[in-house]
Amino acid sequence: MKSAGLIGMSALLLTASLAGCGASSSSAPPTKNIKDITIGTLYAKSGAFATSSMPEYSGLKFWASQVNKTGGTYVKALHKKVPVKIVAYNDQSSATTATSLYSQLITVNHVNILVADFGSVLTSVAVPVAQEKKMLLFDQTGTGASFFTPSNPYVVLTSLPTSGLWPTSLAQYLIHKGYSRIAIVYATNDFDQSQDQTLVRKLKAAHITPVYNNGVPTSTSSYSVLLNNMAHTKPQAVIELGYPNNDIAFMQALKASGDHFNMVFTIFPGQLPQLFTKTLGASSINNTYTYPAPPLLSFSHVNYGLNTTQFESAYKKATGQSTNFLSIAGYNTGLIIQKTLSTANSLNQLSLRHAVSRFSGSLSTLDGSFKINSEGAQIGETLPVAKISTNSKGQLSIKFVTSPNS
Amino acid sequence: MFNPQWDTNTPNRLRRRLVNGVIPVLLLAGFSVSPLVYANQAILFQMMAFMALAQGVNLLYGFTGYLPFGYVGFFGIGAYGMAISIQLLHFPGILAVIIGGLLSSVIAMAFLPLLRLSGAYFAISSLAAAEVLSHIVSNSAFIHITNGPYGEQLTQSYHPLTSYVVMVIVLVLTTVVVIFIRNRPFGRALMAIREDPVSAAMAGISVVRARSVVWLLSALIAGLTGALFGWHMSVFYPSTVFDLNISILAIVFTLFGGYGTVTGPVLGSIVLYGLYNAIGISDPQYFQLIYGLLIIALVLFLPGGIISLIQRRGNYVP
Repeated sequence: MKSAGLIGMSALLLTASLAGCGASSSSAPPTKNIKDITIGTLYAKSGAFATSSMPEYSGLKFWASQVNKTGGTYVKALHKKVPVKIVAYNDQSSATTATSLYSQLITVNHVNILVADFGSVLTSVAVPVAQEKKMLLFDQTGTGASFFTPSNPYVVLTSLPTSGLWPTSLAQYLIHKGYSRIAIVYATNDFDQSQDQTLVRKLKAAHITPVYNNGVPTSTSSYSVLLNNMAHTKPQAVIELGYPNNDIAFMQALKASGDHFNMVFTIFPGQLPQLFTKTLGASSINNTYTYPAPPLLSFSHVNYGLNTTQFESAYKKATGQSTNFLSIAGYNTGLIIQKTLSTANSLNQLSLRHAVSRFSGSLSTLDGSFKINSEGAQIGETLPVAKISTNSKGQLSIKFVTSPNS
Repeated sequence: MFNPQWDTNTPNRLRRRLVNGVIPVLLLAGFSVSPLVYANQAILFQMMAFMALAQGVNLLYGFTGYLPFGYVGFFGIGAYGMAISIQLLHFPGILAVIIGGLLSSVIAMAFLPLLRLSGAYFAISSLAAAEVLSHIVSNSAFIHITNGPYGEQLTQSYHPLTSYVVMVIVLVLTTVVVIFIRNRPFGRALMAIREDPVSAAMAGISVVRARSVVWLLSALIAGLTGALFGWHMSVFYPSTVFDLNISILAIVFTLFGGYGTVTGPVLGSIVLYGLYNAIGISDPQYFQLIYGLLIIALVLFLPGGIISLIQRRGNYVP
C-alpha cells in the first residue's frame, strides 16, 4: 500500500512537472507599459571567443549610448522615442552557459529584442531556443548556413554572408592567377571547414586539385610541422582557414620557418588588424592576403547611421578603443534593430521580422548593404580579397585584388 | 561514514529506509514544482544534469576510489549516440536517449582495461580516453555519421518539455540506483575495494567484476545524461559535449557535497551550481576565486565534504 501511495504521489508530481513546464513560457510586459526597449544579449569576457565577442558587445553598447543621447530610438508601434536598455550576461565562451542565459533573457528578463553573442558556436544554441520561444534572434556574426531554414522565421543575420559563401572571391582570385599548386590547412570547425569545402569545390570545378588539404583541431597552437609538410608540396599559394588564434599561431610558425610562398592567405587580419600587428608585428602580415572588412573596407554610400570615418572618431572618443570590424558589426546590429523598431507596426516578434524584410535591400550602413533572403541569411555584404601592405612605421594599408562589389 | 548500529537496530533500519526514500521523492517534487516558480527551465535542467553526473562520479569515485577526469567522454558519446539515432536511424527522442546511454556503456566496455591502472595514472588515462573519443567524433572522416566538426542540429526533434520530464525521471532513477547500491552488500563490497583491494579480494570479493559493473553503470548514467543534454540543447558541437569543464564540475560537486553518500552530490550540485548562477554569470572572476578557495578549504579541513560535518556528530546521512 505504501509503495502504491508513493508511486501515486510520484505520478502526481510528474504531472505537476509537465504542467509547470508548460506554464513557464515567456510573457512580455504589455506594450503600453513599456518605458524602455530592453535588448538582451550575451558577451564572452573570457575564453576562446573573448577577443571577438568583447568588441562586438562594445559596438552594440556604443550604439545604445548614441541613441539614448537623443532621447531613445523611435518605436513606430508606440509612436514615440523610447530609451534603450541593454541586459547582458557573460557566457564565458561556453555554449552550455549560453543556453541557460539565452533562456534567462527570454523567460526571466522578458527582453523585447534578443541579440546573439559572437560567432556560430555561441549563436547555434540560441537558434532553437529563440524559435521555441517565438523570439526574433538578431544574429550578429553567426554565419552557420544551417541556422537559416524555411521553417524558422525567428532569425536574422545582420552582418557577413553565411560562411560557405566566403571563399567565392578567394577561389576566383586563385583561378585568375593561374595557381595550380595550392595548399590549404583549415581548423575543423563549422566556420572553417565549410569554407574549405566551398573553396575546394570551386577549385576542382576549374580543374585544380589542392596539393595539400588537411584539417587540424581548432585548438591547434603550433603549425611548424604542418607548415613543413605543406612546404614539401611546393605550393604557390598557402591558404590557412582558422579563428584568430589559429591565424596568429600559423603566422608565427611561418615567420619562424623562413619559408616563402607567392601567396599566403589568412582570414582574420582583415577583421582584427590591430590584434595581428600588436601580437606579431606589422612586418609579419606584410604582403599577405585576407578578406578586408570594415573599417579597412570603406563604403562611400551610407544612408543609415554613421559612416566609417564618423564612427571611428566617435567610437574612439566614447570608448577610448580603436575600431575594428567586430565593433562595427555590433554597432551595425544596433542600426538594424533601430530600423526594425521604426518600421514595425507592433512589437510582436513576427511583426519585427516582417519589418526587417520590408527594409531589406534598401539599407546601406558602414558595414555595407543590408539585404537578407527569405530565410534571414545575409546576402547583401560581400567579402573581397585584398593584399596587406605595411610601412616602416607599422601602418597598414590594403590593395583589393578582387572587386569589393563582386 | 557507515554506522553499524543502524544495521543491527530494527527501528533504526526502518528509519534509515525512510530517510533514503525521502531523497528521490524530494528531488521529484523539487524539480517538478520548480518550473512553476522559476521560469528558466534551462538552468533547472542543467542543475539536474550535473546532479545526475555527480551521482555517476560518486558511484565510481565514492564507492571504488577511481577519479574519472575523462568522465565527459561518456557524456559526449551519449549525446552523439542520441543524435545519430535520431538523424540516421530516425528513432524517436526517448528511444534515442536510451540508445545514447547504452552506447556509452558499450564504449566503456572497450575502456575496461583502464581499470588496471589506479590513482593519478587512471585519472590521466581516462582523460586521454575522453580526448580520443572527442577527436574520433569530430574527425572529418566520420562526417557522414557524426557530422564531424559541424556538430549536430536536431532542431526537428527539439522538445524541451519532454526532455525536461525525462531528465527528472533519469535523475530520480539514478538516485534510487545509488541508494540501492549503497545499502546493499554490493555497495559495502565496493567500499571495501576502495579502502584496500587486496584485502577485499582476500575476503572473497570479486574485485574485477565489482569494479567493472560500477564502471559500466556510471558510463550508462553519463551517457543517458549526455543524451538528454544534447536533446535538450538540440544544437551542439563536439567541443560542447566533450568539454572538460563538465567532468571537473561533476567531480567538484561530488567532493564538495561528500562522496560515498547519496545526499552529498545532490547538495553539492544545488549549492555550487546555485552559487554559479547567482554570482558566476555576472562576476565569474569572483566565482572562480570563491570556487578555488572552497576547494582548498575542503581539501584541508573537510576532505569528506560538507556532509561529513553532520556525520562527525554520529548522525546517519544517506
